[in-house]
Amino acid sequence: MKKVTYIEAITQALDEEMARDERVFLIGEDIAVYGGVFKATKGLLDKYGAERVIDSPISEVYIAGGSVGAALVGLRPVPEIQFADFITPSMDMIIQQMAKMRYRTGGQWTCPVTMRVCCGADIAGGLYHSQTNEQWFVSQPGLIVLMPSTPYDAKGLLKSAIRGDDPVIYFEHKRLYRWIKEEIPEDDFTVPIGKAAIRKEGTDLTLVTYGLMYHRSLEAVNSLEEEGISVELIDMRTLLPWDRETIFESVKKTSKVVLVQETSKTCGVMAEVGAAIAEEMFDYLDAPVTRVCGLDVPAVPFAPPMEHFFLPNAEKITRAVKKVLEY
Amino acid sequence: MAATKKGGKSSAQQIGLSEETLLGLYTSLLKTRLLDERFRRLFRQGRFAGTYFSAVGQEATTVGPTYGLRIEDIIAPSHREIGASVTKGVPLVMIAAQVYARSMSLDKGKSHPCHWGYKPLGVITPASTVAGQTIVGTGCAMGFKIQKKDNVVLAFFGEGSTSRGGWHEALNFAGIHKLPIVYICQNNLWAESVTATLQAGIEHFSDRARAYGFPGITIDGNDVVLVHKTAGEAIARARAGEGPTLIECMTYRWYGHSEIDPADYRAQEELDKWKKKDPVPTAEKLLMELGVLTTQKREALADEINQEIDEAIDACEKGKYSEPEEAYNDVYSEQFPVRREEV
Repeated sequence: MKKVTYIEAITQALDEEMARDERVFLIGEDIAVYGGVFKATKGLLDKYGAERVIDSPISEVYIAGGSVGAALVGLRPVPEIQFADFITPSMDMIIQQMAKMRYRTGGQWTCPVTMRVCCGADIAGGLYHSQTNEQWFVSQPGLIVLMPSTPYDAKGLLKSAIRGDDPVIYFEHKRLYRWIKEEIPEDDFTVPIGKAAIRKEGTDLTLVTYGLMYHRSLEAVNSLEEEGISVELIDMRTLLPWDRETIFESVKKTSKVVLVQETSKTCGVMAEVGAAIAEEMFDYLDAPVTRVCGLDVPAVPFAPPMEHFFLPNAEKITRAVKKVLEY
Repeated sequence: MAATKKGGKSSAQQIGLSEETLLGLYTSLLKTRLLDERFRRLFRQGRFAGTYFSAVGQEATTVGPTYGLRIEDIIAPSHREIGASVTKGVPLVMIAAQVYARSMSLDKGKSHPCHWGYKPLGVITPASTVAGQTIVGTGCAMGFKIQKKDNVVLAFFGEGSTSRGGWHEALNFAGIHKLPIVYICQNNLWAESVTATLQAGIEHFSDRARAYGFPGITIDGNDVVLVHKTAGEAIARARAGEGPTLIECMTYRWYGHSEIDPADYRAQEELDKWKKKDPVPTAEKLLMELGVLTTQKREALADEINQEIDEAIDACEKGKYSEPEEAYNDVYSEQFPVRREEV
């Protein structure tokens, strides 16, 4: 067991999957010679050559659409979108081609593309380098949407995505790249898609979250524990198709729910999770399903006090948990 | 009119094709025409749902490039490429099954009447988003290059598609990496109701190729021999690793954008002028001059094709729709079944 950072785990997964399967190749802006603006693909050009590690022109439509085409002829493309903020030009290719390929062809053609998207705030990135934007993709059946919060999951989920036969939008959080370190096995392992992780068992309340907000929630849950409050902490990991079973079982046990996400509240991932709990678990609930989310404003504002005002944090989460418990 | 910037010699002067090829081209042309006209009639009779996008008038632009391709070569079509499916050899019953949205169609009835796709022969089922398959097709060519295969891709689109950003991104990438792809622009002068003069400030859409560092040429798209030969040279270059070509085929669609469009935005004189340049009799005349075809042979061929069409349509008329619950399938791989709603 060796301690690795979140971004090292991603590089390892790419390296190991490229070594394991020659159908895997990478394409994206600044990923080859420069090794990626965050260095996730560092060293891979030297190891696998320019035909498998492709520096693309600034062409997000083609990065996505070209990956779809390469997948149709039998390859396993792993394109990178440098910032989730810049994914909008790719939307046509992701939504109309990637997500619908299997469906519109009756399963003749499949689209095993794993699109890595560097996302997230709390890095003083301003309006256009801080968005997560996973909410746009979870409303599109046909896509798998992932957002790992730990190095173990980052590696294991990326491997599952690359090996699977479905198109995956894999959100990796920039704030976690070099902040979060943990020991992970040196042997090959994968993490199953579609399964949430119960990070901490508890009895008083269920807290569901993912990505950077898992770490903010953990901070809150740990301090609440010192006050004698037992929170069950669930990390969704897969945002589409999400793990209803694990979350619903927890709600049956605790009857109280707080949902935490980084992005704006309206129509985010937690809007769906909350609605599903309200629809299917109503008889078990003892308090309103409550969300702690980013503000409903167009994007994450730049000036640090405003950025922190936008984002959920341990304090805001703690307040929400206490309010629900007092209901 | 059919501007011929270069390479515009008459077909007879530059034949150099075998009798078999000439007859093969003509057979595909006639088959496409007869099938297309049949579908138009059937739609008007209410035999299938949706609408129908006829390619009558522009058959040579799809038949010419497709004829002689390998099975492994990819067709990246738009919605008016019935000729590419016919010429690649997709069974007529499968082409019809898709139009009728029958369960026996490989898409099980999920796609649209003119979104012909057939993986066994490398025809990608298109999406309706304009220029979509040009971008995806370029990715297929990138894939072939990575795999070091000498397969090629034919991407078909109208002149209107060249106004989209993604189209430019794809051709730009293909130029950088000398991808094995041939871009066939069917300039039929109208993108639905908008004239080509309102799509671009240039006369020839093939001029766009210069900006990406590969050859572009404008030819008479109603001359199936010229289209076949021009595309053939481009395909050979692509296969040899010498990169893409953009071929602009000047042509005309006789009917509306789809069967629900009366096409009243254009002048009758324009249509009449182009009907005189009908690609089917043009090829017929040439083949007869060359002694490859006779009236008798033509009649026999048409009878044979019509019988094949009758059988295909008959099978579809007798065929069934998929069960509605089929809607739940083919969303993900088997690992992720879609939740059934209790209604």
